[in-house]
Amino acid sequence: MEPVDRRRFLKSAGVAAGAAAVVGAPGIARAATEGDAEVVDAPGALAKQPVVVYVRDAARGEVTVMHGEHATTYRDRGLVRRLLKAARVTESDARA
Amino acid sequence: MSSHREAPEISKDPVADNTDTYAFVSPDKPDTVTIITNYIPLENPAGGPNFFEFGDDVLYSIYIDNDGDARPNITYQFSFSTQLRNPNTFLYNTGQIGSLDDPNWNKRQFFDVTKTTTPGIRPFPTVIGSQLASPPCNIGPRSTPNYAALAQAAVHTLPSGETVFAGQRNDGFFVDLGAIFDLGDLRPFQNLHLIPSAAAASVDPLATLNVHTIAMQIPIKNLTQDGKAPTDATSSKSVLGIWGAASRQAVQIIDGFDDGRRGIGPWTQVSRLGNPLFNEVIVPLGKKDQWNATPPSSDSAFAQYVRQPELARLLPVLYPGVFPNLAKLTADRADLVAILLTGIPPGVVPGFQNFTGTTLADMLRLNVAIPPATKPSSLGLLGGDVAGFPNGRRVFDDVVTIELRAVAGATYPLVSPSYTADGAASVITEGLTPAAGRYQSTFPYLGLPHDGFSTPS
Repeated sequence: MEPVDRRRFLKSAGVAAGAAAVVGAPGIARAATEGDAEVVDAPGALAKQPVVVYVRDAARGEVTVMHGEHATTYRDRGLVRRLLKAARVTESDARA
Repeated sequence: MSSHREAPEISKDPVADNTDTYAFVSPDKPDTVTIITNYIPLENPAGGPNFFEFGDDVLYSIYIDNDGDARPNITYQFSFSTQLRNPNTFLYNTGQIGSLDDPNWNKRQFFDVTKTTTPGIRPFPTVIGSQLASPPCNIGPRSTPNYAALAQAAVHTLPSGETVFAGQRNDGFFVDLGAIFDLGDLRPFQNLHLIPSAAAASVDPLATLNVHTIAMQIPIKNLTQDGKAPTDATSSKSVLGIWGAASRQAVQIIDGFDDGRRGIGPWTQVSRLGNPLFNEVIVPLGKKDQWNATPPSSDSAFAQYVRQPELARLLPVLYPGVFPNLAKLTADRADLVAILLTGIPPGVVPGFQNFTGTTLADMLRLNVAIPPATKPSSLGLLGGDVAGFPNGRRVFDDVVTIELRAVAGATYPLVSPSYTADGAASVITEGLTPAAGRYQSTFPYLGLPHDGFSTPS
């Protein structure tokens, strides 16, 4: 399995938009790393090994990142805020 | 039953549904243990054109605990891959299938086997078999005219000493399914039921159905903690805990843009099976999915349902006056705890033990120092045959009758000699005798699958 380091994870998650559970592909991630997420009308091919990020508990700022057969849970309140914004939900909608 | 569609979630996921697990000292090779785990319940043999197959997205496991802590010391895992030769036909086969590499066979399945041994400095899975062929399903006399040869060609002997098979067989489990779920009816005794009808012959709806089987035959010395084949049946080193399981990756993406499916994340257990009927009959409906997701080492959370089984309270109600002593039995069922959760300690049944310690865990417990019976009884230990269930489980063991009798109180005198079991407890029967051909005397011991052409649905 390729390691999912924090920098790569943030890049992947930075462009992922549309839901609290997000699929990101590392190759696409380099296209946009800052600013608001943009809606993609015609997505590229699904990566062979997608990275999946989901907000586990918004109140605790917890996100879980999955790649290959592994999962790691981080606390990253900034990322959680961005994901909630992209999903158009509030923190209370994504509480445990 | 024994664990066919036994829990709400797994009933919707048949390719991952572990229906039965068997473990016994091989009668024709007594220096080996045979372990069988079945999946995909209630296969209609005619179910084409997409005939049944293992899930490429499921990880199938066999676990062996050899030190009594209910955690695996040896794990065998099986992962499958399906190959489609011709995507431009709707047919499973475009002519007779004469061999496992016959070009007429369009949709083939292969599997890898890994073995993990723990504890270890760094326990990594070792691939012990790669790209092993499964046989096709048994379609009919035009498509699979010599099915026995196809199935035999799919029995693989691995360099590491194991023999392995993964493919379709007939379902060896037998039960009067329709009656038992009709308010606990037992047809031979239904005249005594709360809602009576005339006594009748039992019906076995599984007699014409198939399953998918993963079977392994493993040298005993490869499984014990000291690497020896034990001969002392009183030794704790002679007892193995065995169970099967299936896992799926935590997330599945179904991508509408790409028509693709991907599994991502850790393998997460969705089904398991040690003792027959444990999750089916002992665990209540609201806990069954949780039970399927947890390991045997967590089974103390379910011990209350063994100590006070719901079925033991129901029998006196459903059969008024038939179980008067059972109706008055309110003590915890130490007999069932021993049979299902710890193994039977020495001194309870003369000359027998399969005790793995005080850890409460649902596992088959097999004393491998006990040789195969020369005249086996399908009632196993209740029939005086110490080589049968609950000493492991053989394919022909009548586990429904054995467990019904145990729950009805027949085994309670073993732990409480002052208790007198009701007369009915020792005569309960599901009233079924499997037909010839249901089993075979050699590996993988379950009979050839029924073919779809000649088996009525």
